[in-house]
Amino acid sequence: MNLGKQDTGVVAQSAADLAKSARIEILKMTSSAKAAHVASSLSVIDLLAVLYSGIANITPDNRAKTDRDIVILSKGHAAAAIYSVLALKKFFDINWLSNYCGDGAQLGGHVTSTGVPGVELSTGSLGHGLPYGLGIAISRKLTKSPGKVFVIMSDGECDEGTTWESALIANHYNLDNLIVIIDRNKIQSLDFTESTIALEPFMDKWKSFGWNVVEMDGHDHLSLAEELSKKSSIPKCIVANTIKGKGVDFMENTVLWHYRSPNDEELSRAISQVENN
Amino acid sequence: MRNTFIQTLLENAKRDPNIIFITGDLGFGVIEEFQKQLPNQFINAGVSEQAMMGMAAGIASTGKRVFVYSIGNFPTLRCLEQIRNDVCLMNNPVVIVSVGAGYSYGSQGYTHHALEDIAVMRALPNMNVYIPADAVESKSLTNYLCKNKSPSYLRLGKTGEPILTNNTIEPLNNRIVDIKSGDDGTILFVGPIGKRALAAAEILDQMNLNVSVASVPFATDIDIAYLKYAAAKGPIVTVEEHSTRGGFGSIILESLHQLNVPYRLKIIASSQQNLSEIGSQDYLQVTNGLDEKSIVDAFNSFW
Repeated sequence: MNLGKQDTGVVAQSAADLAKSARIEILKMTSSAKAAHVASSLSVIDLLAVLYSGIANITPDNRAKTDRDIVILSKGHAAAAIYSVLALKKFFDINWLSNYCGDGAQLGGHVTSTGVPGVELSTGSLGHGLPYGLGIAISRKLTKSPGKVFVIMSDGECDEGTTWESALIANHYNLDNLIVIIDRNKIQSLDFTESTIALEPFMDKWKSFGWNVVEMDGHDHLSLAEELSKKSSIPKCIVANTIKGKGVDFMENTVLWHYRSPNDEELSRAISQVENN
Repeated sequence: MRNTFIQTLLENAKRDPNIIFITGDLGFGVIEEFQKQLPNQFINAGVSEQAMMGMAAGIASTGKRVFVYSIGNFPTLRCLEQIRNDVCLMNNPVVIVSVGAGYSYGSQGYTHHALEDIAVMRALPNMNVYIPADAVESKSLTNYLCKNKSPSYLRLGKTGEPILTNNTIEPLNNRIVDIKSGDDGTILFVGPIGKRALAAAEILDQMNLNVSVASVPFATDIDIAYLKYAAAKGPIVTVEEHSTRGGFGSIILESLHQLNVPYRLKIIASSQQNLSEIGSQDYLQVTNGLDEKSIVDAFNSFW
């Protein structure tokens, strides 16, 4: 959607509220399920909150429409993040969150589309979301359908070859309806990205593939809302600088919380930090 | 066979704008007419099979029927997880078309031999494998797949295969039809290797063993009534240009086992003794035990 200044302010405010509520749900979900990836979910949550607060044209009521926008969370390990947002936006019953990862649960530790309203693609193996989103974007070009395709990826995911195969193809077919948002939290499974397989100069890589590349603060709702409302004549890549574990000081910027889940004491400390922020 | 496929697809795609053809930068001399006539239904994804397959699934998710075309192992093994997750799990209507089954590209070396694809593709959920014996079956299967809405794998030979079948039943189904009928046993085959099955049957005729010979184009959707009848009649020999591990012979073996009937079965498939062996398709069929003699010997071992 193309929004005016006043509108983006409204989006930013509701995104801030949504992100705060979602952070609390993420903490509760990962704690009760003793599940991994809490910090990954906290780093990406502001990006999702902005998209689902009026930037992406997708609601529980327009899901069947073929010209609506598409959001794909390619970093499927941040399932708690998208599930909490979709539940808070009433795509499905919020009570589903309390049985996250449980026996017979609707919601598991990696994103599943089957039986989960609002999810476009089951993800969990990295490097799948961008080619899939690229396909939807190409199909919409062929049929002159207007909706945009947003693909949210992790930075570690850019190790995957499909990322760069897709970057080539999107440029070749001039997919101005495709927007990639990279959750640049600079940490992957075992270490910092730059100590694992260095990505820098990261922006230059995307630019050299012919993309419109924008670097920004991935926790700044207003700037994100403004940037995501702008049109681009070529495929766009937003490198969103984020902090892994954002909002809970003892989880921030550490490799440990990629896998660890909060115990009861850590959970109550974490929730009070989020509530008082 | 590949020309029949592309011509049949083109005819269907002219009538149905939802049919999209994607090539992984292959098909020189084969695909140009499609590209020329239907440029808005044609995509060259370049040499990027993994992105191509994910992209195909994404396009299919918007209501299109997508045919992905490449050769040998490139559209199957190279992008296996994209097929598993993005096509099969999401149940998207993608037809994977691989040209060059078995030793079709014999002299090009092992990288270009497609010998494990049936086993790998049949292991995937929601996926069905279709293998035409000749241009007749290539045409009828392509027509069938243009309307079918499930993940599918179409395993094609190359070119110049003899016509072996004449089953033109419409609409096509999984019924197995004898090319030649006999009372003493059955040869079931998939693909153009069927010419050796027919030649073996002629040799057996001279030895007063009259066997039925049939192509099984619906390779993962077996005509159980036929199989029961064949098992009761006599020994069964399967023939395929594929590894012995998990291919068409295994499908028949598993089906017979599930039927819980007495049966006698031998599987003729590639022994893959020397992976680096170079030669023509005919030559490699013989050196890997896929010749008439192996089929005749298999029958003789039952008596």
